[in-house]
Amino acid sequence: MRIERTRREFIRDMGLSAAMLPFVTNLPSVSELALLPRKKRLVIIFSPDGIVPKTFWPDQVGTNFELKESLKPLEPFKSKTLILNGVSDRVRGDGDNHMRGIGCLLTGIELFPGNVQGGSDTPAGWASGHSIDQEIKNHLQKSMVTRTRFGSLEFGVMVPEHADTWTRMVYAGPNKPIAPIDDPYQMFGKLYGQMKDQETLKSVLDDLQADMAKVKSQLSAQDRLLLDEHASLVRDMEKEIQASRKKDVGHKVPEMPAGVRRDNDKMPELSKLQIDLMVSSFVADSTRIATLQYTNSVGQARMSWLGIKEGQHDLSHEPDSNKEAQEKLTKINRWYCEQLAYLCKRLAETPENDGTGNMLDNTTVVWTNELGQGNSHTLENIPFVLVGNGLDFKMGRSVKFNSLPHNRLLMSLAHGMGHPIKRFGNGDFCGDGPLPGLA
Amino acid sequence: MSWEHYGTVASPIYTLFGLAGISLFLGMSAFTPGQAKPKPKAPAQAKTGAQIYQAKCAPCHGVKGQGGAAYPKPLTGTQSVGDLSKFIAQQMPPGPVKCAAPDAAKVAQYMFDTFYSSLAQERNRPARVSLSRLTVRQFKNSVTDLISGMQPSWGRGTRGGLSATYFRGRLWEGKDPIKRVDSSIGAQFGTEAPKVPGLDQVDPHKFSIRWVGSVEAPDTGEYEFIVRSDQAVRLYLNGQSKPFIDGWIRSSNDNEFRASVPLIGGQAYPIVLEFSKSTVGVDDTEKRKKLKPAPAFVELQWKRPKLAVETIPSRFLFSQEVRESYVVSTRFPADDRSIGYERGSSVSKAWDDATTESALDAAGYVASHCKLVTGVDPNAADAKKKLAELFLRTAERAFRRPLTPDQKQLYVEKHFVDSVSTESAIKRSLLMILKSPRFLYREIGQAEKDTYLVASQLAYGLWDTLPDEELMRAAAAGSLVTKEQVEAQANRMVRDPRAWAKLREFLLAWLKVDEIPDLVKSAKRYPEFDNATASDLRQSLEILLQETAGSEASDYRQLMLTQEMPMNGRLAQIYGGGLPKDADFQPVKLGDDRAGVLTHPYMLSRLAYLETSSPIHRGVLVARSMLGRTLQPPPAAFAPLAPSLHPGLTTRQRVAMQTKPDACNSCHSMINPLGFAFERFDAIGKARSEENSKAIDSTGFYRTRGGAVVKFSGPADLANYLANSDEAHAAFTEKLFHHMVKQPALAYRPTLISELKTSFVKNQFSIKRLMAETVVQTSLATERKPAVQTPKGAAK
Repeated sequence: MRIERTRREFIRDMGLSAAMLPFVTNLPSVSELALLPRKKRLVIIFSPDGIVPKTFWPDQVGTNFELKESLKPLEPFKSKTLILNGVSDRVRGDGDNHMRGIGCLLTGIELFPGNVQGGSDTPAGWASGHSIDQEIKNHLQKSMVTRTRFGSLEFGVMVPEHADTWTRMVYAGPNKPIAPIDDPYQMFGKLYGQMKDQETLKSVLDDLQADMAKVKSQLSAQDRLLLDEHASLVRDMEKEIQASRKKDVGHKVPEMPAGVRRDNDKMPELSKLQIDLMVSSFVADSTRIATLQYTNSVGQARMSWLGIKEGQHDLSHEPDSNKEAQEKLTKINRWYCEQLAYLCKRLAETPENDGTGNMLDNTTVVWTNELGQGNSHTLENIPFVLVGNGLDFKMGRSVKFNSLPHNRLLMSLAHGMGHPIKRFGNGDFCGDGPLPGLA
Repeated sequence: MSWEHYGTVASPIYTLFGLAGISLFLGMSAFTPGQAKPKPKAPAQAKTGAQIYQAKCAPCHGVKGQGGAAYPKPLTGTQSVGDLSKFIAQQMPPGPVKCAAPDAAKVAQYMFDTFYSSLAQERNRPARVSLSRLTVRQFKNSVTDLISGMQPSWGRGTRGGLSATYFRGRLWEGKDPIKRVDSSIGAQFGTEAPKVPGLDQVDPHKFSIRWVGSVEAPDTGEYEFIVRSDQAVRLYLNGQSKPFIDGWIRSSNDNEFRASVPLIGGQAYPIVLEFSKSTVGVDDTEKRKKLKPAPAFVELQWKRPKLAVETIPSRFLFSQEVRESYVVSTRFPADDRSIGYERGSSVSKAWDDATTESALDAAGYVASHCKLVTGVDPNAADAKKKLAELFLRTAERAFRRPLTPDQKQLYVEKHFVDSVSTESAIKRSLLMILKSPRFLYREIGQAEKDTYLVASQLAYGLWDTLPDEELMRAAAAGSLVTKEQVEAQANRMVRDPRAWAKLREFLLAWLKVDEIPDLVKSAKRYPEFDNATASDLRQSLEILLQETAGSEASDYRQLMLTQEMPMNGRLAQIYGGGLPKDADFQPVKLGDDRAGVLTHPYMLSRLAYLETSSPIHRGVLVARSMLGRTLQPPPAAFAPLAPSLHPGLTTRQRVAMQTKPDACNSCHSMINPLGFAFERFDAIGKARSEENSKAIDSTGFYRTRGGAVVKFSGPADLANYLANSDEAHAAFTEKLFHHMVKQPALAYRPTLISELKTSFVKNQFSIKRLMAETVVQTSLATERKPAVQTPKGAAK
């Protein structure tokens, strides 16, 4: 029985037309389920301004390691966590480290020369290539089996309104940055707008038809013909809506609380709303790739809810000797880690509707940053913390590489998602392919 | 015996004959009384179908086939002409001697066209004002006005340019910025600072400029905006929330940014262009000061629907920013234009879907831009109360009349109850309003002929949109009853830009240039005529219309006779006028043969082939549009004779030769002599005196409906006739009427067109006054009464 249901869902989610049905249902198979690969997902979370190495990197390597202060919230998922130390952003060229930090983070390729002047170095423009999430998305969208409604969704939390090199991480192509959607209501509209529209329409149709009848009674017999014709069109529309409602998303549309404004102090609420929407989009299988960008490179979140009054970027410039600042920065990164943990918790408690376990079994969440450390602006040891089993990596480990270029990790992500590319971004940094020993 | 026993075969011939029949009927019968027919070549004594029918059939079947004592059934049905003809030859009249086959064919055709076919019956039905939905144009205008009307509008300022502010700093910083109006945006600064009076001591490394104002879209369609610059630039169009073009981040060497948007003709949209010479991000001016300044330029252009890219002309720019407005961007199926003017006479699934889609889109826009559109903060405690009040006024405006308490409840109040979120209340209420037949249909309800109906007739007649606040107030106060009251409103409204937008649209349709074509000429024959020329000519024609029909006097005779053609430097190179190459458009006298809009080079090029002129196209336009004659389509498709096969002939001789057969001559005896008058202009509308080394013969004539023959020696002569001819005045009056009112004139009063024509002549041929008079007479022709006992709390 369950197999039946799953196949129907598969067909529905793929949006296959009636004409395609015979082809799909005639697949020569004993178990149709076996033919459908599990849904693999990749999420990339960005937080800015580097981390505090002392409170972030585990002292141990291997499966027996201890989570330090910044990563403590991952304790429940420790066995599904992979911490990668020693992965570095080697891309150089125009732009300061914050700009290259975010602009090359997922693209692995230089920025174009341009007119954006950073705190140092030469001015630069946008990245000269597309980002790895878009590379994987394009790959997934090519196949009927992995294609989804959106292909990828770009979430944000408090990303500044201005579009510049510091605020964009995802690129559809050279010079084509994609702006994250940091307004949960806008994201909700993107996910459920059409359906909501239909509901609104349906809610007024009866009243409309009733009033139409009243209008009709005022018309001459000849004029009535036109309105009769119109009324029958409205009835057709009602039938169409009813028919399409049967093909709904397969889960309850989330309720959105009213009036959570884009405001620094509302960051915790915004973050939760965005994560909840992301999980909903996975349940509907609207996408298998998502990014979530907190503020921006050089981000200035003021985490007043943690009792911190200073902006994050200002704090990140303080030297290691400033204990108080380092403590605050640790708290800040711990808060980001809590957001990661909340997403993992939501995924872990959400069962897959094709019976392949829970969503964390099929999703890998990568948490990263544009810098290794804020006060030195280093692009060495960029933090990469992975949770979940979407990529079939060996999890529950702390790994230390000897400064390998991050392009190789980007390739690992693609390989893990079933897209074995030979190089990505600047080919000089692709070395021997994906990072060794992950899978 | 009945026609029906013959069986009903839906023959394809039916359609063919049916369609041909219409044009034949309109072409020949509508205006034939008294017309001297061209001499028939056939034997003179041959009787027409009508004559045979009236002599032989009418005694039993009635003069209009309505039936008589002997055979009471009306002669109507679905047989084809061929079937009818066969039946008549075999069966009619009763008795031994039957109708001869050729006569039977003529009778059949006559009957079919005159009363037998369903099309003939439709034609014979008395004209009436029938229920119409809003046309697509009316719908789009109305939705825009409804949403924009939720708050007071802002003025456009003065025509002629955008307000510019020049700053000494890189991001609108620095003291004493200089303000002025720039008529166009295109500046090559080179490596220097802008040369603006009063703006001295500017660092050529860093300065910034902001242009602010409004841009008017002349036609409805897709507009492409193009910003070119090597510095940081950003264009906002119709809204500040997001740049329409974002070139703020320079990356790679791309100096051109393009984006397209659908705009509505006659509407103005806010526009802001920001330019900054400097880097963005961290200020590095000190570092760059040691370097030589980089060159800089900025340019703002557009591409109007189907025209070439050009710097936005100053006549479309205004100095003040209007409020951002909502644009319906849904694709609609085209309106019925089968009888010569757009009208909302039918509904279809595509139309219904389009109204739903745009209603949802509009409702979504208002809900997500609540504060901006309504002025009400949706999160405020009293938001629902305030919005409900606003939406009651909105519904009233949309329905063009006050709501009954039931309607208020249905369309507004029930949606703004506490349990519903503000957003969904807005959406539901607006969706209901925009999908309501009370919004979508005009002149609904026989019981509602009152001052509100007059207001609606005035607004749609003159503006193609909802009544404005002043009209609604007059309707509520009952002051749209007397002729003087209605006239006062019409005279006010006809001066509004919306009336000009409607008149402009009419003129373009009347001249058959409403759909902008790709105007292409043979590059070999006319190397000087390129896309830019075609685009310039179009502009020139539009300026001509604006300066004549669009002027205060709005004199029809001036439109038909003006000798001054708007030329710019580029056009003057081709058509004469002796202007410097870069001269902007200005009126130029191009010679005595130029007279009025018909001799405008755009019209002449449009009505011509790639290499040769086309007297037929030119003649057809004059006959149909200017003289109101109906012509049947050619009996078959003909390719024009190739000029290369007849190198010794002029175009005139070639055309005369090809249209010589009788089948052609019935129409071409009217078309050709009208078109020949323009032979003094070639395929690009340039004056000429000879063709193929033969002198041009531009003489022609026109046989009036009354049978008189009017002769012309050339284009100016013909233009003079058209400017002063009673037939032309009547045709213009009637066509304008139908474009405005979108109902048959006969439905109001048989003499209405002739009365309007008389007042047109009396009022110095003022087209605008004719427009006013048209709506005044139409609304007075409808029975009306003051709007009494409006429901409590309705329109104030």
